Amino acid sequence: MCTESRRPEGAESPFEAGAREIRAGRRTVVAGAAAAAAGLVFSTDAVAGAATSGGRAVAKPSTRTRVYVLVIDGCRPAEISPLLTPNLHALKSGGLNLPRARSLPIMETIPNHVMMMSGVRPDRTGVPANSVYDRAEKVVRDLDRPTDLKAVTVIERLRKAGFRTGTVLSKDYLYGIFGTRAGQRWEPAPLLPITNHAPDLFTMQAALAMLQDYDPHLMFVNLGDIDRFGHADLTGTTLQVARRLALADTDVQVGRFVQAVKDAGHWDDAVVCVLADHSMDWSLPNRFVSLSPVFAADPLLAGNVVIADNGGADLCYWTGPAAQRDAAVQRMIALATPVDGVLAAYDRRDLSLRLGANAGEVVVYCHAGWRFSDPSSTSNPIPGNHGHPATAPIPFFLGGGHRRVPKGRASVRQAFTFDVAAIVADAFGMSTIQYEGRSHLA
Amino acid sequence: MTSSNVPAVRRRTVLASGSLLGAAGAVSATAGLDPAASAAPAAHRVFQHGVASGDPLPGAVVLWTRVTPTRGATPGSGVGPRTTVAWEVATDAGFRRIVRSGSVVTTAARDHTVKLDATGLKPATWYFYRFKAAGQTSRVGRTRTAPALDAELEGLRLGFTSCANWQAGYFSAYRGLAKRDDLQLIVHLGDYFYEYGPGQYGNGRNDVDIRPHVPDHEVLSLADYRQRHAQYKTDPDLQALHAKYPWIITWDDHEVANDQWSGGAENHQPATEGDWGRRRARAHRAYDEWMPVRMNGTARLGDGDRLYRRFRFGQLAEISMLDLRSYRSEQVSSPGPDTGKVDDPSRTITGAEQMAWLRESLASTEVQWKIIGNPVMIAPVTFAALPQAVSTQLHDALGVVPTDGIPYNVDQWDGYTADRKTVFAQLADGQTRDVVFITGDIHSGWAADLPADTSLYPAVGDSLAVEFVGASVTSNNLKDITGTPPRTTSVAVETAIKAANRHIKYLDFDSHGFCVLDVTPERTQCDWYVIGDRATKGSPSTWSVSYQTLAGSNAVSDAAGPVTA
Repeated sequence: MCTESRRPEGAESPFEAGAREIRAGRRTVVAGAAAAAAGLVFSTDAVAGAATSGGRAVAKPSTRTRVYVLVIDGCRPAEISPLLTPNLHALKSGGLNLPRARSLPIMETIPNHVMMMSGVRPDRTGVPANSVYDRAEKVVRDLDRPTDLKAVTVIERLRKAGFRTGTVLSKDYLYGIFGTRAGQRWEPAPLLPITNHAPDLFTMQAALAMLQDYDPHLMFVNLGDIDRFGHADLTGTTLQVARRLALADTDVQVGRFVQAVKDAGHWDDAVVCVLADHSMDWSLPNRFVSLSPVFAADPLLAGNVVIADNGGADLCYWTGPAAQRDAAVQRMIALATPVDGVLAAYDRRDLSLRLGANAGEVVVYCHAGWRFSDPSSTSNPIPGNHGHPATAPIPFFLGGGHRRVPKGRASVRQAFTFDVAAIVADAFGMSTIQYEGRSHLA
Repeated sequence: MTSSNVPAVRRRTVLASGSLLGAAGAVSATAGLDPAASAAPAAHRVFQHGVASGDPLPGAVVLWTRVTPTRGATPGSGVGPRTTVAWEVATDAGFRRIVRSGSVVTTAARDHTVKLDATGLKPATWYFYRFKAAGQTSRVGRTRTAPALDAELEGLRLGFTSCANWQAGYFSAYRGLAKRDDLQLIVHLGDYFYEYGPGQYGNGRNDVDIRPHVPDHEVLSLADYRQRHAQYKTDPDLQALHAKYPWIITWDDHEVANDQWSGGAENHQPATEGDWGRRRARAHRAYDEWMPVRMNGTARLGDGDRLYRRFRFGQLAEISMLDLRSYRSEQVSSPGPDTGKVDDPSRTITGAEQMAWLRESLASTEVQWKIIGNPVMIAPVTFAALPQAVSTQLHDALGVVPTDGIPYNVDQWDGYTADRKTVFAQLADGQTRDVVFITGDIHSGWAADLPADTSLYPAVGDSLAVEFVGASVTSNNLKDITGTPPRTTSVAVETAIKAANRHIKYLDFDSHGFCVLDVTPERTQCDWYVIGDRATKGSPSTWSVSYQTLAGSNAVSDAAGPVTA
């Protein structure tokens, strides 16, 4: 699930934490002309901010290359079409399309954004899902803290090399986990209640202002409307009315961005990397799986399992004696597998999953058209969900006029969200050997 | 699939004993592969049935021919001497650069057929091959190996076809495909031949035999099946197409008997025709001898008759060929008291092992396009909303629509909905996308989305995959059976069916021809070509229509025009 942030009771939100840092002077508010005119707030580290002029970093590598990563959160491949999303379609057809692209487990927002910027799988990032059981704090919570991300991001590598980097992230937990890694970050506002995200109109306004005032070499943008409207769309299983409206609007915002890049004279040097973090699936109200009561009825598991519900995937944590762990894993798999709506249950240590210890002991996926609702049947009433394999296919394409962006082509290569870091590093001539993903630049 | 309107009384036709050789003498030239140049001038021709290749792998391909070492060693005769047949594979048509060669011995026990696996070849390479025996040399065949498994292909282009009834006309569709130089292989989706005798299933509503079958009765014995295979392989257009490209082939029902299932067939009467299992074994034996396929994974004879198998074309595509006859449950009666059994999960069209294998194919993340060679239609087709007059007409014409409006053709996947649900659930669960079913059987051209939920499709348009169905080479279509001119009565029927089944984007009940499937990372496009009069030799083929499915869309969309070389 990602519509409602999960954090310990009384804990401050990522945005509240950011505001506190600004008030405390650990971050500096920077405001260029465009940002000021729009009433937008960008922040940077206090030290870095002091060493800048008008928000520009001191180090100025000579390259004219620009990389803009636009994440169309929750978009499905087939939703990019000439009629509904003409601007996105033009980018896709004019550049390099990667039709085999897939999101990686767990097909959720935070882990896949992290993989995009770190280039490695969750067993190295420490971020396997949106929501995990924190064994130290004994609570199910979102991975929305900067310290949750254990890998070095390409943002940090670029920044260390003197490139200007910026994040414009519409969701509070993305804002939170990427923290102060970029040279500049947008302090998202306004945030809609419940969804805790900024509408694409405002997100794009921030991206355009950052482009004009700061001109980052790398800008990482998350456009969250399609995902958010997808989750909430009560006509998701049928008409998808709200979602289609959101798609059309997001496309307009992308069109504004492309035009701004052209107006700024960057198009010929730009790599515009467009992808989704995951896809979306819808379930009818009665199509849910609740594993908590199943486990609670078992003598071994009762009281010894905590479930972190991630919409289309349940992460199951054994909290009982270590000596019974293996038996508990087998029991959880055996009990979960035959439950109506369950696609498959895996031992998290399955090497192909690469989720790391934060993902618990057992990972359970649901079928298409289903969702998990744990710990109770009322925990997850929303129709739109992701996290399960049905939501793995994603749109992924490279646009822009940069000489290394193939023009008007599609590639038969596999592509994954974690390829983005390699693409970014490659565009700036940096090593990609540390990445599990690969660059798709020519 | 054929008309259910098979006459009960068989018309017997006596054929001249020389007809087989006479037909063989009509071998035509393939561009650059002139058989006349290599055929010996002797009166007796050792290589009368052409050459063929098939089942291409990155390093291997099956090569096939049949020798007639003496005049008496005719197909199915069971006589004739042991014969050593040499074979050569070269990279040039002149055989100056021979890369592989060898010899095999064939005998009457295998009807003097020759089938071998030429291995040690390079991936994605055109080769030329020929055979030598009894002082004569066969025509030259051309073939192509599959690309390496990890090859990043930019395209794959193939022709696909089905339902070639000798008695209904000439194989101009094969000729049309053979004239093309831009293909890499041919996929045949079944009904490569028909089992009927003369007068039982021919051209049009009166079953006129444009050219009668050999033997002159429904095939039952091993000798019968061998002779029927042999007759088809004397067709000059079929020989030309076999010589031009490697084929990947599966069977449908008529390679044994009409509407066959695992335990019998509509066109098999145990009381007069004997045990079904024995008949099928004989048919499969002859098929193994006469077709360039690996059954049970090998080119050896007699080691099994599993025909479902996969072929990989780099990272771009994988073709999974289905066998939807050998393992299926009996069709429910249509209409009848057990029509409700179409949903019975204990009934199957694939069998459990093949279903598990198919699900593996669909779950593959190694390739982009999953192309399913599908002998019978999988798209749901309902006729419930059709006017009674229309459904009655369809029933009379095709035998597929019960007159009481029961909404399925029980010989297709519509008659085995539990298996279809399993396939569709696999697709919906997102294990794969870019799935294209290419289909034969129903003697008509279709392009259809495969709806996630048929009832919601008109509102949502949510599709899991697509299906492209090719017309028959010669077998009767709607206009042939109704005896009406093209694009007259069928148009109304097509319109009504499309209106009742919004996921069906294209339907042509009137044409014969072939399809060209062009696969690229961006899209897969299907071009339908139609021929002129099938009763006329050498009818030209012309482009009719094209549809495509864009990568990631899982849906049919319009295509601008046909692909060209």
